[in-house]
Amino acid sequence: MEHINAAKIDSDKINQVIRECIKKGEKEIRISNIHAMHNVAAGLCGDASVTFEDSTGLYTASYLEGPTVTINGNVGWYAGDNMVSGELIIKQNTGCNVGAYIAGGNLVVYGNTGSRVGYGMKGGTIIIGGNAGRWAGQLSMGGTLIILGNCGPAIGESMFTGKIFTRDPQAEEKMGGNVIYDEITIEEAAELDSLFAAYGFEAKGAEFHVIRPILDPSGKHKYVLFKPELNKEGAAKYKASGRNGGCYGAE
Amino acid sequence: MEQNKQVKIVNPEKGTWNNIVLSEIDYKAANGKYRIRGCGSPRKVPNFDDLVILPGQCTRMTIDTYREDCETRVVLGKRFAKNPIVLETPIMIAGMSFGALSKNAKIALSKATAMTGTLISNGEGGCLPEELENSYRQSIQILASRMGFKKELLFQADMLEILYGIGAKPGLAGHLMGEKITDEISKIRQIPAGIDLHSHPRSGDAFGADDLVVKMKQLREITNWETPIFAKIAASRVREDIKIAVKVGFDGIILDGCTAGTGAAPVMAADHLGIPTMPALVQAVRTLEEMNVKDEVSLIVSGGIKDGADMAKAIAIGADAVAIGTAAMIAMGCRVCMNCQAGQCAFGIGTQNPEQVAKLDIDVAARRVANYIEAMTAEAVLLAKAAGKTKLSNLEREDLRSMTLESCAMTGIPLAGSDLVIGQGFGYTASNTL
Repeated sequence: MEHINAAKIDSDKINQVIRECIKKGEKEIRISNIHAMHNVAAGLCGDASVTFEDSTGLYTASYLEGPTVTINGNVGWYAGDNMVSGELIIKQNTGCNVGAYIAGGNLVVYGNTGSRVGYGMKGGTIIIGGNAGRWAGQLSMGGTLIILGNCGPAIGESMFTGKIFTRDPQAEEKMGGNVIYDEITIEEAAELDSLFAAYGFEAKGAEFHVIRPILDPSGKHKYVLFKPELNKEGAAKYKASGRNGGCYGAE
Repeated sequence: MEQNKQVKIVNPEKGTWNNIVLSEIDYKAANGKYRIRGCGSPRKVPNFDDLVILPGQCTRMTIDTYREDCETRVVLGKRFAKNPIVLETPIMIAGMSFGALSKNAKIALSKATAMTGTLISNGEGGCLPEELENSYRQSIQILASRMGFKKELLFQADMLEILYGIGAKPGLAGHLMGEKITDEISKIRQIPAGIDLHSHPRSGDAFGADDLVVKMKQLREITNWETPIFAKIAASRVREDIKIAVKVGFDGIILDGCTAGTGAAPVMAADHLGIPTMPALVQAVRTLEEMNVKDEVSLIVSGGIKDGADMAKAIAIGADAVAIGTAAMIAMGCRVCMNCQAGQCAFGIGTQNPEQVAKLDIDVAARRVANYIEAMTAEAVLLAKAAGKTKLSNLEREDLRSMTLESCAMTGIPLAGSDLVIGQGFGYTASNTL
């Protein structure tokens, strides 16, 4: 195992040092004193296990392709952005927009995450052990998002394709537009059980429901766009008590 | 005396209530929604035709139009990137998606770049392998939707464009109507076939200028500082946007004016969002000069560029190159019916209908676009030589004069036949007294 003390390494050199270790054939690399540097493990390729012993900044393991990257601390926004393959394992909490545009691989957060987890995701699997903020899985185009804790509002807003698994009892009321709340299939529950076993989560797939893009009876996406709602009842109120009564807005 | 004879008004001028306005009201009354239209805006706005170029006479020696050389080669993206792009002519093909355009049209355009030594941008929705194979130089857009975007494109690109907006519908996302979302396009973009697509409005991987600074380092590191990275910006608050783009560290900027085209946009957006190309360009150049980075940051301008005169005037104002979209489609046969959104293009350009697509002969269309680029380059060269330049890039604002008070006020370029400059001058020290 190779140990790198990042205390005296510039932030724009750290990835180069890691890449050189992987190039030399190191399979296990531990990095200490990363001090929330941004872009750590960005674009990292190859076959290795890279562990950061403390917290990292923005864009951690973005465009990751192959390695398993583990962060023992917290992680900033945009972790796993455009990730292609491999694993990104975050032991504590994250900022927002984690897993944006992820195309493949597994991204696992054991703590809580902020808003827009899995924004525009296209593939891969994201597991959030804790709670997720609003707009989880917004405008996703594929992949699987699993949230073990509570969901924020507007979950799944306008998903094109993909699935969000949740066991939040209020999930149905929190859903965004253009999605439905559905029962989990036996196959899907088994797939979740396998992931939970692999990553050490005490949960059962059968406890979950699925949020899916809304389809019409022919199986075609039933996409509805925003349209301003004109409240005719509200207008009637002003007519009755406003102009006629000489006092606008009076009840 | 005869009284009150009934005589109808014949062909009255209807002022506000012209036929276009009537048609728009009829559409909304019939459908309860606004119209989506192709091709951009038909509005008349101040443009490069409002400027003229001053030819050399006693003060400058002209260059022989038919026998002497004038260099057209241009280098773009040299600010930080190790591998800037060298183009034989400063005309690139603007980003137009496979989806908005047919596969044949995309291939024809990319072949035209190989014939003329220039650059094509892929547009939203990924990059066709055939486009990549045939293009001379390839720009890859990184859009808010990332539809069809793959990591390997970062390494295949000769240039990257982070797209913030397009001139035809700034502030809005991509539109692709259901008629054009075939199974093939659905697969590439990872969206259901047949939906009316309104793609991601905001980028999910950078929520502001501070994030962008870090994002830029991410892309630089992944691309090993080799590939030029441009920002594509719709003309809006040009001064502020350019300042942010420069501070973020882009190698160049593509500035898209409100007369730019598109495959589909709400009429309101095309007609009422953003500012015209010519004044936007002036504001961009002023800002780069104020920041003392004009020579470092490449500036490409687009939005209604139609001929060598537009290009020559844009270069004289301070652009390094221009991008063409609608004009290249017209070269392939488009007649600007403004109905691209319907996906029933009779010329096989803005359609995915296999029978219509087959009507566009790729090699003929490619040759026509290449011819057009060559002729447009020759037009610009003719004007530059008449102004006494041996390089296209030597055209300068001092070679220009405004033809209207409006263009004079917008550009700070003196009114023709006078030294009058209205408002903020553009490097001129002319007297403003009438």
